[in-house]
Amino acid sequence: MYEAILVCSVALIAVALYGFYSKRHMIKMVISVEILVNAANLLLIAFGAYRAPGYVELLPQSLAILSISSAGGVTAVALALILAVYKVYGTVDVRKLRRLRG
Amino acid sequence: MVIWTLAFGCCTIPIVGWVSDRLGLRYVREWYSSLVIALAFIPYILLIRLVARVGVVVYPIPSLFHSILTVDMVSVFFILPILIVGFASSIYSTSYMSHDTGLNSYYTLLSAMILGMIGVVSAGDFFTFFLFWEVMSISSYALVAFRKDRWEPVEAGFKYLVMSSAGSALMLSGIAIVYGIAGTLNFAGIALAMRTPVLASDPWLILAISLIIVGLGIKAAIAPMHTWLPDAHPAAPSPISSLLSGVMIKTGVYGLLRFYILFQTLHAYWSLILSILAFLTMFIGNLTAMFQTDIKRLLAYSSIAQIGYITFALSIGTIQSISAALLHVFNHAMMKGLLFMAAGAFYHATGSRDISVLEGVGRRMKLTGVILSIGLLAIAGMPGLNGFVSELLIVSAAIQQELYLQAALTIINFVISVAYYLRLLQRIMLKEPRSDLSRVEEAPATMIAGMVILASLCVFVGVYPSMFISISELAGRVALDIGSYITSILGG
Repeated sequence: MYEAILVCSVALIAVALYGFYSKRHMIKMVISVEILVNAANLLLIAFGAYRAPGYVELLPQSLAILSISSAGGVTAVALALILAVYKVYGTVDVRKLRRLRG
Repeated sequence: MVIWTLAFGCCTIPIVGWVSDRLGLRYVREWYSSLVIALAFIPYILLIRLVARVGVVVYPIPSLFHSILTVDMVSVFFILPILIVGFASSIYSTSYMSHDTGLNSYYTLLSAMILGMIGVVSAGDFFTFFLFWEVMSISSYALVAFRKDRWEPVEAGFKYLVMSSAGSALMLSGIAIVYGIAGTLNFAGIALAMRTPVLASDPWLILAISLIIVGLGIKAAIAPMHTWLPDAHPAAPSPISSLLSGVMIKTGVYGLLRFYILFQTLHAYWSLILSILAFLTMFIGNLTAMFQTDIKRLLAYSSIAQIGYITFALSIGTIQSISAALLHVFNHAMMKGLLFMAAGAFYHATGSRDISVLEGVGRRMKLTGVILSIGLLAIAGMPGLNGFVSELLIVSAAIQQELYLQAALTIINFVISVAYYLRLLQRIMLKEPRSDLSRVEEAPATMIAGMVILASLCVFVGVYPSMFISISELAGRVALDIGSYITSILGG
């Protein structure tokens, strides 16, 4: 069972990385972050299933729930920032945000 | 416990702020927040005495799946700069932020960030570690973009948010794999499991550790994951810059140190990766800092270089080198916190961060200028100030292990960094003002007070280094003694 979840998780990581490199819309970048977090959550569930076949492991599941809730917080801050960016720049295209050169 | 004091502060600061706003009282919220952070020193001192007596203090968190806080000498050593820089920046904010709105959320987020950092360094398992890591991260995202109506903070904040939260997700994946191998999230349990040769030679472990290094490396700004730092640190308000650059990036270093010790069998692999990244970080940081025209960007790049020195010291992996790294963490927190505050004082007075505009501003703001000079001379490694002590210890730890090439490269980096620190000192303090600075006045008393705390510690550690060296040696010895760490947490 856990192999299937593992494959899903790796696929999600690939999707998220594709999103980071190809998408220029800020909200789509935040969605990529969310997908990456969900891949990590699935990985936790998969390894929980691997450690105890047929049972539910509490520890990785609680860590997954913690991660889901913290990702909610991150998304809220990110969306607030996108709103602020839109007010300042008038766009949500990250290519227009190139004033900093880091 | 230190964490409960700050958690109490987080909950009560908004209430106190709201009430004082209603009553029209000024500065109540500011002083209350500083008071809460100052009060946290009392449980901290009790904690030191307890740790000195029993070695590792374990605080179970009931009803949360066996998660524990474990405080040993290393955690105690990391909490000290967090509290000091946190207290100094809270005092400093009193006048620096007085023209901003939304100060209730500012002080709440400030104490939440300090709470998160202290939680990260005293976590005893990955669950607690990740919980406090996210508390620290989310509050720092909001603080970097606090002045949200300007272009720079929102752009830098978004960049920081995307990179850092992707890093946290990758770290979580690494934690998941470690769980799959070891079957526990407890640090001591993982260290115990790694003593079994079958588990320790698992090929998945390399992947897990690489993911964890990427996650921690993004937070610690190790090249090539450093690109958020030179944008985010200048864009944040100056007290926040000094917290970010002084102590928040060090929590990534703490993670690298802690997990380096957990995975004993992979020390060779881990050391190799860390030393390559360390030299990349040093050279990128120092060479880019040479060409900066913005004072806060220059300091941000210099932070990257300093993280390179600390990472190099960690990669050697002896007691001497780890204690040198710990001492440099403390010293760099003092120096960089001070420098960012002084840069913020100049920005507050002149409205500019451009070094060519700030030329000669030290002649008008004499006190701030003297404090900036102490910080710059300390970080440049002048004997008699604190930077010299730990930089010397790092190089001597490398020479003891006969890593002559690496030691030489580190010294080359020190020399490069001296060039731009002294040039900055000369331009700020000695040159004739190029622009009109006649209306510039000395910084307010609370800003000076925040800087004086850190400057006096810079001088104190430089003049009496022996006490701090012995404490950091003790912490380094405790950090490497994984056997007694396991027995004191898991028993027998």
